[in-house]
Amino acid sequence: MRRVGIVGAAVTPFKARWYEKTYYELAQMATAAALEDAGLGVDDVDGVVYGIYNDIFQRAAIPEHPLQAVIGLENKFGVRVSNGGATGAYAMSVAHAYLAAERFKTLLVLGVEKATDCFDFQSMSATPEVIKTIGWSGDSFFEQKLGWTASDSYAEVVLAYMDEHPGDLKPEITAQVAAQLSQQARDNEFAQRRFDQVTPEEVLNSRIVVYPFKELEICVYSEGAAAVIMAEEQTAKAIARNTGKPVIWVTGVGEANEPSFAGKNHKIMHRILSHHLAAKRAYEMAGIKNPLKEIDVIELHDAFVHQLEISMAEMGFVPLGRADSVIEEGLMMPGGPILVNPSGGLLYSGHAVGASNIMSAWSARRELIRRGLRRALVHGTGSTVAQYGVVLILEQR
Amino acid sequence: MADAKVIPLEAIPDARSEVVNVGGRPYLLLNDAMFTFYRRSMGEFSPFFLALRDEKRILGARCTRCGLVRVPPFVTRCPDCGFAPTELVEVGDVGQLVATPPVTYFANSLFQQQVPFGRGRAILRGADTALSVNLYTTRGILVPGIFRKGTEVKVVFRSERKGEITDIFCVPTAELTPDQVAKKGLEESELDWERATEPPLPSATAQDAARFHEIAAQLSALARELSANERARRDIANWWRTILVKTTGGTLVMKIANGDLTVEEGTAAAPDLVMVVADPAVLLNALAYRGSLTQAIMTGKLWISKNVEFTTVFKLERMARSLARSKKA
Repeated sequence: MRRVGIVGAAVTPFKARWYEKTYYELAQMATAAALEDAGLGVDDVDGVVYGIYNDIFQRAAIPEHPLQAVIGLENKFGVRVSNGGATGAYAMSVAHAYLAAERFKTLLVLGVEKATDCFDFQSMSATPEVIKTIGWSGDSFFEQKLGWTASDSYAEVVLAYMDEHPGDLKPEITAQVAAQLSQQARDNEFAQRRFDQVTPEEVLNSRIVVYPFKELEICVYSEGAAAVIMAEEQTAKAIARNTGKPVIWVTGVGEANEPSFAGKNHKIMHRILSHHLAAKRAYEMAGIKNPLKEIDVIELHDAFVHQLEISMAEMGFVPLGRADSVIEEGLMMPGGPILVNPSGGLLYSGHAVGASNIMSAWSARRELIRRGLRRALVHGTGSTVAQYGVVLILEQR
Repeated sequence: MADAKVIPLEAIPDARSEVVNVGGRPYLLLNDAMFTFYRRSMGEFSPFFLALRDEKRILGARCTRCGLVRVPPFVTRCPDCGFAPTELVEVGDVGQLVATPPVTYFANSLFQQQVPFGRGRAILRGADTALSVNLYTTRGILVPGIFRKGTEVKVVFRSERKGEITDIFCVPTAELTPDQVAKKGLEESELDWERATEPPLPSATAQDAARFHEIAAQLSALARELSANERARRDIANWWRTILVKTTGGTLVMKIANGDLTVEEGTAAAPDLVMVVADPAVLLNALAYRGSLTQAIMTGKLWISKNVEFTTVFKLERMARSLARSKKA
């Protein structure tokens, strides 16, 4: 198996509403910028892995087909990945496999989403229709008609965790995590809420959307795109010599999809085993024994702050039941041992679903290079009850 | 029910287009929809849904090898036992919640009429896996705490059933009589639903009245500030509501009119919504982004006459946040 590395990355701004662009142009913007970052022309790329979560957002089934010519990869390989919230991370996992197997030398991974064209004409606002669109992702026989949403589905897991660990996920701590992410977004010129710093008090006072989630503890939907260029070892080294930028190697990849039905032999509601197993597999591949000591940057898919905390525990950074120590013991506080979502996470950068984990990889690479750090973890979560988990380990050597 | 449409008519927009100007350039917005109609087969799930509809019974799939009973019966073969066949068995209509369930206050556009509602997972007697169900209380607005992990619930059947998962919902057995808990095929019409009645307010003292005038003046000023804010105006674009607010010290009329928000002392003859809040400071704090209307409703400090008007409540909360955001940018 060949080593695989990231040699270029780019994001567009993430915006709540982008009247001026369709997803065709967002795809072009991210592709052109990622190619420029890697010092490549489009002819140097052998194919593309698209990360597009939702057909309905784009208002087209197989929404990727026009993009092949839009991004200049006509007559080349193109495959779309669609795995709920974990789409972007799974797209990078797929690209890694093709490159490691030497099917291709260089691939573009392109995530794009235009989420807020959806509009509810009864409330005269977008959000209820955006979450209705995501609501079509729920089980169609037994759950959709009960009012299933991504929020209520993740809240099920969080509340089950809180049943097991009643002293953890204290409201003042989740509020502090959210407030800290808002501070970190200031450093991300592409963030949707770059200048929307909030205090823990404001988070505590924000309205309950789905109990126990408050409005300022939930990621915001975005329109935007992100792209990375990945290459097999020899090609990656050649590109790096040309650009003078280090290759960021993908040294670990792990994935797990849990069952979506709960009960005996099925989903354990108070766990997010998908995140635990994905991390375990990625650590094994990367040779990581003690993640807290060996990982410097974590790009954690923070769909909900409570889930961020549980995911930190499931991935081995804090014990289950003591997830609040991410704040209480200063782990992710300024000056702490790990940088968690230094660009503001999906909460403050925004969540352009298929593009989000790719944006996280862009951010992780940026932090590794500019701070001269060794290892980063990129995480993706998705589907009902946090069913999907993907972890990638990125390294600078 | 016979005339019900699979898409509510009021959700369907008029076919038209408009132009929005951004940075001095026009961009075209088209009212549009993706729609597909189905005559969808329930296939191997048909016995489950027919039993709900016609017999008010709940079926599970029992593995003929390991004996695991899956409810709903989402497999015909057990993947844990080399795909050994399962058989349909009837399970009980009382069970326990596997975990504390979420309560939805801000729903997707198809469910805005139903908020607040709960959805949880119940392991019914005789079953090994959990059935997702809507959770209701017969005692007013649903708030967190009514349902918890282990809460015993009873399946209740809708009086008109179509063969869908929404033919059933659950209520706590603690809200039922022993006869109701024991009865097979209990129907919603047999429940004693508490009517939404307006809570009484204490009689006002001179102090209450003085405080009311003071806060009413602050609310009026805040409403003017909100109406002057572009971001906040957008939050109530194309929205019109007259809200009568009853407090201990007096009544207010809050008017939402396509971007304009006004608050004045007085009364309204035919309001779209009535709010009852003993202390008007609850409303002031929420609009000043120092508190939350939703949380005030959850904690019983604020009563609203129509749950469907949670949409209006959210718009008011969004305005408060928009103004706070604008002050930072």
